[in-house]
Amino acid sequence: MDGHSPKLASIPASDSTVWADASPLLQAACTGLRDGELIHGDNFNLFAAMSALEIMDPKMDSGIVCTYYSIDEAIENGAAPIPISLDSTIDVQRTIDIMDHLLACEAAWHKGHSLAQTVFSCIYLLRLDRTAPHALLHSYCRVIRATCKAVVSVVSDARAHEEEDLFTMTYGLPLNGDGDDKCLSMLNAVEETISRQLRACKAASSKRRLPEDLEPLQSNSNLEEGFCKALLCRLRFRKHFFHVLACMKRPQGRGLESARKHIASCMTELESILKSADFIRSCFGESYEGDIDDKTTASGREPIGFDAMLNSRLSAPTPPRAIKILSWKKAVQYFVKLLHDLDVICSYPLDPHLESLLRFVVQFQISQPDLVARSHLQLLLVQDGKLYGRDPFFAVITKAAALPEATKNHDIQKNESILQLGMLVMNLLKILCTNAAWQRRKHGKFLQDWRVIYVQLELAFRNEFGEVSSSSNDENICMKIFQHILLWVEEKTYWIAFRFLILGFELELYSTSEYCMVYWYLYAVLTKLAEKTHLKIAVSYDIAKRKGKKKKDSPKDLARESRIPPAVLFLQCYICLAEGLTMILAALRNEISVFQSPGPFNTEQEKFVQHFELLQRACIPDHVSYPSYKESTTHACFSTLAMYNYFKDAQRIAKEVKSSFSNDPDRLAELRKLEQVAEHNSVAQNLICRLGALDPSLKVSFELSHHPFFATVVVKRS
Amino acid sequence: MEAMPEEKAEFEEAEIKYVSYGGEHHLPLIMNLVDQELSEPYSIFTYRYFVYLWPQLSFLAFHKGKCVGTVVCKMGEHRNTFRGYIAMLVVIKPYRGRGIATELVTRSIRMMMESGCEEVTLEAEVTNKGALALYGRLGFIRAKRLFHYYLNGVDAFRLKLLFPPPRQELSPSLDT
Repeated sequence: MDGHSPKLASIPASDSTVWADASPLLQAACTGLRDGELIHGDNFNLFAAMSALEIMDPKMDSGIVCTYYSIDEAIENGAAPIPISLDSTIDVQRTIDIMDHLLACEAAWHKGHSLAQTVFSCIYLLRLDRTAPHALLHSYCRVIRATCKAVVSVVSDARAHEEEDLFTMTYGLPLNGDGDDKCLSMLNAVEETISRQLRACKAASSKRRLPEDLEPLQSNSNLEEGFCKALLCRLRFRKHFFHVLACMKRPQGRGLESARKHIASCMTELESILKSADFIRSCFGESYEGDIDDKTTASGREPIGFDAMLNSRLSAPTPPRAIKILSWKKAVQYFVKLLHDLDVICSYPLDPHLESLLRFVVQFQISQPDLVARSHLQLLLVQDGKLYGRDPFFAVITKAAALPEATKNHDIQKNESILQLGMLVMNLLKILCTNAAWQRRKHGKFLQDWRVIYVQLELAFRNEFGEVSSSSNDENICMKIFQHILLWVEEKTYWIAFRFLILGFELELYSTSEYCMVYWYLYAVLTKLAEKTHLKIAVSYDIAKRKGKKKKDSPKDLARESRIPPAVLFLQCYICLAEGLTMILAALRNEISVFQSPGPFNTEQEKFVQHFELLQRACIPDHVSYPSYKESTTHACFSTLAMYNYFKDAQRIAKEVKSSFSNDPDRLAELRKLEQVAEHNSVAQNLICRLGALDPSLKVSFELSHHPFFATVVVKRS
Repeated sequence: MEAMPEEKAEFEEAEIKYVSYGGEHHLPLIMNLVDQELSEPYSIFTYRYFVYLWPQLSFLAFHKGKCVGTVVCKMGEHRNTFRGYIAMLVVIKPYRGRGIATELVTRSIRMMMESGCEEVTLEAEVTNKGALALYGRLGFIRAKRLFHYYLNGVDAFRLKLLFPPPRQELSPSLDT
């Protein structure tokens, strides 16, 4: 408008370019446009316009300066002084605050926030070299940096973090430091100095003289011992934690035992850290007011040297939302849990039996371990395309399919479908280490692949042995391998379908009005799973008992001969509960019209189709559809319910099978829960049958109070 | 000082007027409502994208001339399905709990259905009990859980409504 050229050309004009004032052009365009019109071009339309930012809007423009324009400006303005204070006592206190806040930031990062907004909001860490004169802070920051780098590496390698990709974003952050591999020796040196100082002040307090003439940590001799202790446990925690990560990284689980020792030390130091809080708060001299539990430091003070906004431009064009750093207490709790989860992983005996491994991973996930722990587990399980970096997956599969040991060397492993099967098993293990939400989606997706592999293997089997009455020894072995593997693949497929369905409960995907169809489908899948499991076990008995016989018995005969194995009984307990719940829900719906939600736009059929689409597409199981669901449940009523109590069956089976699992505390614990559900539901069913249709004040609800996926029926009077 | 109880507006449901997005004059009303109630920073272009391309899917609720609620949606082809998407739904606090949101959403979904959509989808925080109940009553299921979907670490449900297949004309019986 004024026609003057821009003052400071930060981008200089060149030979072929020149600065020109576009204000008149823009003004003309603005005048020419009417409200609601948009100038658009070939690659700029309304959709693209959505990415527009309004400059200077603090919600949208991450270039907005909040306090400091840059890290250097922050430092120039004294945001991160070195030394932190000229008073050595205050310097030590503030150093401890920084250490505590860094721990809280680290926990917040692990929990799912970005590194830039958490650990690297520390100005000292962003310019680590300038902390060199302050040995304590310098060595501590180095270990933090090296630790973060190690953790990022583990999580990136595991790639178990699809939705948690905020975690590994390190763009623009100074994560690589020269000499960081020496960080432990630096830390050890500082630890040694402070240890000597602690010994010295203990000697001084007991009036013994030490030959050394050490410089005290800080000027107040009454507080010296307390500060030394507070610092030592913090330094030692970092040292042992770094060792845990290094040990667990060693291939094939070679470092797990050492890792456990360091984990134990970490736990000890964390306890000492918590205990030091009293001393740290007391040496304030002032009484601290306010809620200390929310603070990110033991002292309750705000730490010096942190600014989360300095990195905002590194994250994205739009400024990141302000996050809440975990409180110091919660951070310590987080690390206690993390270490406990890592300890469980380190205690695992690397069982070559896939079935036990699957049970272990499922059990491990019940405590809802966080990303860092899960990534470590995944890296332990799958390394270099082998189980534990040690066992080829074909060997794992043959063992799981109850084939003789020598089978693992058979040429059939080069078969394309067998190779693909190996990949599927590997992926299954990786999937089992992810968070439940992602896990369920992946299970659903891979069902199709498992089905396809089964069909391919079956086809290959038939092509090889179709009409031929085999006589050659090798062909016999091939046939046996195929048979066993086919059975095993089917069983695994139903197991994945079962996991897919029950994860829906954990993730709260089902409303009570959908429980009937879910339990019905679960019943159908479990029935198949039990059948295949039984066949699989029976076939493995066959190996043990009938070694010399040439005659081939059908799997059905074998199944009839042997008693029902405990694993199958366990599933039958599930089946009874699923059937019982289906029927009671169907009866309630049919008799008193509860737990149905007719919407204006669709019916129960659409919900059925949506929930079970992936299973239906993979024909798991066959001949299961909405009409067959309706057929099974339309006639359920209180009088039919009274005729048979599936919950009593479940109770009986649970009691019976307990003795078979006396060495398995996890399964015993679950059996107890199943018994509780069965008992409660049996009583509820009787009540409903007697009073249900007559008493309108009876309110029935289904709560997952005893068991993660079998609901307890609760009957109340409203 | 005791907290003042939340003021609820007094009105008869019949007093609420629902209108389809009618043009530029409605845009600031929608923007004010959404900016006020939701914390996502939307530029004006985001609003224009929706109301320009799919004006028939956005609705406003008025009470005595004051805009008290709005729904903003889109629809389109997504992996071989023609799908509707509910982008924003807001009713100001004093008017909540009276079925206004349900009515707004219902109108939009009906329009989607008539336009040939096969399904409708949206995301909602797992903690948003009100929204989950509303959509549950309309026939949405919780199709997926999205871990830490929102930047504050809260998970989301992807809600989906599947329309029944369109009724086909019954062919006349061949054996009369």
